Amino acid sequence: MLKKNLLALPIALAVAGVAYASSGMLPEDALEMQIKKTNNSTYLTQSPQNLMMMPDNPAWEVAEAGEKLFKQARGPKNASLEKCDFGKGPGVLEGAHAELPRYFADTGKVMDLDTRLVHCMKTLQGFTNDDPAIKQKHGSKSDMMKLQTYIGSKSSGMPWNPPMNHPLEKAMRDAGEVMFYRRSGTMDFNCATCHTQTGKRIRASVLPNVYEPADWTKAISWPAHRTSHEEVRSSQHRVLECLWQMRYPNIKIGSDASIAMISFWTDAARGEPAIVPDLKR
Amino acid sequence: MFKKTPIAAVAAVSMLLIAGGCSATNAGKTEAAKPMAAAPAAAVPAAPAKVDYTKMSAKDLAEYLIFETDSYDLKQATQEGTSGKARLTQDEIQKACSLMKGEELSDKAREKVMALAAASIKYPAGGIKLGDWKKGRELAWSGFGYRTAHNPDDHSNREAGGNCYNCHQLATDRTGGDLGPSLTNYGKYRGASEDMLKYTYDVIYNAHAYFACTSMPRIGASGVLNQQQIADVMAYLFDPNSPVNK
Repeated sequence: MLKKNLLALPIALAVAGVAYASSGMLPEDALEMQIKKTNNSTYLTQSPQNLMMMPDNPAWEVAEAGEKLFKQARGPKNASLEKCDFGKGPGVLEGAHAELPRYFADTGKVMDLDTRLVHCMKTLQGFTNDDPAIKQKHGSKSDMMKLQTYIGSKSSGMPWNPPMNHPLEKAMRDAGEVMFYRRSGTMDFNCATCHTQTGKRIRASVLPNVYEPADWTKAISWPAHRTSHEEVRSSQHRVLECLWQMRYPNIKIGSDASIAMISFWTDAARGEPAIVPDLKR
Repeated sequence: MFKKTPIAAVAAVSMLLIAGGCSATNAGKTEAAKPMAAAPAAAVPAAPAKVDYTKMSAKDLAEYLIFETDSYDLKQATQEGTSGKARLTQDEIQKACSLMKGEELSDKAREKVMALAAASIKYPAGGIKLGDWKKGRELAWSGFGYRTAHNPDDHSNREAGGNCYNCHQLATDRTGGDLGPSLTNYGKYRGASEDMLKYTYDVIYNAHAYFACTSMPRIGASGVLNQQQIADVMAYLFDPNSPVNK
């Protein structure tokens, strides 16, 4: 059996070490639920290998490292992130990621997981934009991805529910929707080119449809370990890569345009369970 | 109105506090947090009028976010010698074809798009001829070219491809996508009449001439492939010896 490799045991222990809120669900269970709900959708079931590997997702090691980092006193202010407010109160991580992006009164901005985490690392820990802890955005070895994977995992199985109570949350989501359909670049692509039909493929890859929330939740469930990259990737990285394929210029991580797009795409999965960390192609 | 729950009450109070303290805007980038609490008083009247995202239409805000908020690297160099800003700036066809969910193209807009597209098509001086299907095969397969963002394609090392297989099945020896129609046996089924060659050239060059607001990139009009490369791809489609027709 593939699963009986040497890596499986320590990873299984790592999984056991990450605590769940009672309302949470392991990502593989949340995914299994979606597969049943969609009657084995082509998108969700396209990689039997990844489905089988879910319990041994290498992202769990990254999440575990993130938990240590989160609780560790770090930075010029020698503080942990345990007082960081991700929208559900200081230190409350359970379900927080499922309700991002959201408006934060202390900054007057709609923030996603990346920008809120950066905010806390600056304000609580005293890091600056030039510190590797903040600057290094990509890769499983980066602090950002370790922390995001840990925080994200605390929303696994919980329904996406980004608040739309503040007018700014609605404005950002609506602008993100316009951007989803806005065609430009060398190839005239918009997001809708690839993401408004069910079961269609780019080469061999089955594409998720924004109009199928039960499928779409997997598409927006980040952080996820990408087997083709051998790295854990973020929502912001997904934006970047799509835009790269679309022949758009570089988008800045945490920029308002990126948050508007993430607001729209998260809203499109409303009510469906987050699958975090996910395992993707 | 607000539901009578403690959470809503807290939210309402905090919203009032915000409304009193500053305008609701996401425009301040990473530094936006500072003016809230600690900005010198003099900076407030001196600052230019703050843009309130909530006062803009969704379309206006989208344009604003793309071009005015330092979200994109608008100065990024492109392979064609333009800028990131040019890549993001829509031409008439892109504007007309940015249809939201459920939005239909009007007849007038359709005519305009088709006319613009037809006018964009430039034909080879010696007429439309088939090139080398083997070169066409590689161009059809290659998804390289014109990508910028975090990992720009270097065209000095490798020519840009046509990206055809991303969306089309062509020969069956490689896996193609299915966002576009299957083109397997393209020449075998259609023949290589002059009309068929012209139609095919047009669709590759600028498919909007026939299918307004198609998803098909304007491979010729946008400069993805030149006339010779299009001839090579057409040979791949039409040549009886091409794997497409086997």
